[in-house]
Amino acid sequence: MERLILKLTEKHVLYTTSFAIRLALVAYGDYQDRTMAVKYTDIDYHVFTDAARFITEGQSPYNRSTYRYTPLLAWLLTPNIYLSMVFGKILFIVCDVLSGLLIYRILCLRGLGSERSLVTARRVSSLWLLNPLPMGVSSRGNAESVMAALVLGTLLCLEGRCLMRASILYGLSVHMKIYPVTYALPIALSLRTPETRAENTERWQWRRFIRFIGSFLNTELFLFASVAGGVFCMLTALFYYMYGWQFLYETYLYHLTRRDIRHNFSPYFYMLYLTADGAWSQWLGLAAFLPQLILLLVASWAFHPDLAFSCFLHTAIFVSFNKVCTSQYFLWYLCLLPVVIPHLSLSLNQGVGLLLLWFAGQVILFFVLHLNTTSDMHRIIAHYKLHRD
Amino acid sequence: MYIVLFSMVTCLSTCYCLIDDGKNEKHCGPLKQWFESTSVSVEIGKKGFHREVVTTVELSPDVVAEVNVLLIYRWPRGVYLDPYQLAAESDQRDWQILLNSDIDLEVPAHKTSGFVTYVYPTLDGPSPRLLKVTIPIHGRYSEPSFIGKTFTSVNIEPPELLLRTEKCMQLNNLDPHNVMDAPCTADNSSTCSWVKIQCQQEHAPVSFQFPVGDRTLVMPVCGGTLLVTVICCVALSKYMWKHHI
Repeated sequence: MERLILKLTEKHVLYTTSFAIRLALVAYGDYQDRTMAVKYTDIDYHVFTDAARFITEGQSPYNRSTYRYTPLLAWLLTPNIYLSMVFGKILFIVCDVLSGLLIYRILCLRGLGSERSLVTARRVSSLWLLNPLPMGVSSRGNAESVMAALVLGTLLCLEGRCLMRASILYGLSVHMKIYPVTYALPIALSLRTPETRAENTERWQWRRFIRFIGSFLNTELFLFASVAGGVFCMLTALFYYMYGWQFLYETYLYHLTRRDIRHNFSPYFYMLYLTADGAWSQWLGLAAFLPQLILLLVASWAFHPDLAFSCFLHTAIFVSFNKVCTSQYFLWYLCLLPVVIPHLSLSLNQGVGLLLLWFAGQVILFFVLHLNTTSDMHRIIAHYKLHRD
Repeated sequence: MYIVLFSMVTCLSTCYCLIDDGKNEKHCGPLKQWFESTSVSVEIGKKGFHREVVTTVELSPDVVAEVNVLLIYRWPRGVYLDPYQLAAESDQRDWQILLNSDIDLEVPAHKTSGFVTYVYPTLDGPSPRLLKVTIPIHGRYSEPSFIGKTFTSVNIEPPELLLRTEKCMQLNNLDPHNVMDAPCTADNSSTCSWVKIQCQQEHAPVSFQFPVGDRTLVMPVCGGTLLVTVICCVALSKYMWKHHI
């Protein structure tokens, strides 16, 4: 067993195996789609492909209802129309394997540089590469692996102090999906000029405050903010010019103002459903936003020296306390979990216990939500999940 | 002279009309008979929010092969059809569908209205007198109940059955209530007159239920949710602050 694990986690074997398994899943998915009533391919993949088809016809991708992503994704998937429907899935599994490679590189940079540590880094990265969840998600045609690769790429470049590349990747990832925007605070805190001990003991609180604000004014942070902001604004301006207000609404504003009353994993789901048309619905939405904001601020401040851990916590908090949460959101923080695992002081039993709780929550929610029993159960389970988190 | 000419023209036109009426009677006559021995029944398949409406049409044995069949469904606002799903699965079925309006896939039931679809089954299957059409439908979320109900009913009316043959062009001698204009084919390029078949057995609408929220619980739900989230927020913040790097 030990030899098998060792063999499997050899660098080339690991990447080849994980890519081959994903490729086999894509082939199987094609078979299942053709022969069985329950389809393997994710419904979103058809949405992306329809949007790509609109682009090839010179129309807006937003003519496809429920397409709420950047036009860049539809542009990327135009070979689905010109070459083969399978192109997008291959792109997603390549990004998935690339994410595994990025996890490995981040782990190497995060102090696992010795020969023995490299083996550990490979084993930990195999938690992503040989994990059936991302395998299934990317081979079903879900685009989350592109986001995982962009976020991990940003973190790798930040760890390696390649600020230019990091800022371009960060600008691109915020453009692709809005959630990494919350990383701006821990990134800014980690890039500011470090305070010296003497400054820390300063008696005057307001002076300390001015020095704290002043610590944000440095070349590195300015470079990062201007390049990332520039990439984001350029892409936004380009697509606004091409597709107008509909692009802004569907890609960003819809997600900001979204109050999905259809069942989802959010603890707020049942509350927002019951009060959807009420006069105080807006206030409840705001009240639901506050715990998320407070926790993000605290996590940023408390853990910003360890940027990867801070980003992991940010994503986990953002997803768990969001007003809408679907199963694909879990991948947003799962891709960061292998990066932080070697630095956790959890025992194996504790880790396995937490993992089982996480799966138990998923399984119960899946059965309750997908078998559509009474809505009261949704509420109970949603609260259970919140307790668990 | 004019009187003779006029009487000849009148005589000729009457003769022509009689011949034409004879032809029309030959082609349209069976349409009247089909009223009697045709039946339409509807069943609901699958469970949960994603169901199937299975329509079985038993045509009269006298129905000729060249007849065109149209089923008009009037869907209630509690359900919707996904046009993209219908387009993607179009090669796996032997009927075509035309929707009368754009369908919002996400809006809840109380903020939308019903819609009409025209379904055109083909008669070249293994048993052309027995048509089976399976339409995938999806439930919309409904407004929470103010009286503590946990389910809401959705009624699906059986579709109207309409028939048309290319040869029977004049439907004037049929009961005007039984003739209606509808798109000739699913591409909606032209309108034809169809004969509406009143089935002998009137089937009642089929009904099924979707879960709804209980609005009477709004206070405990909001209070409980906010309390739990605030407690989690405070506990996590304290823990993170205590263990900060």
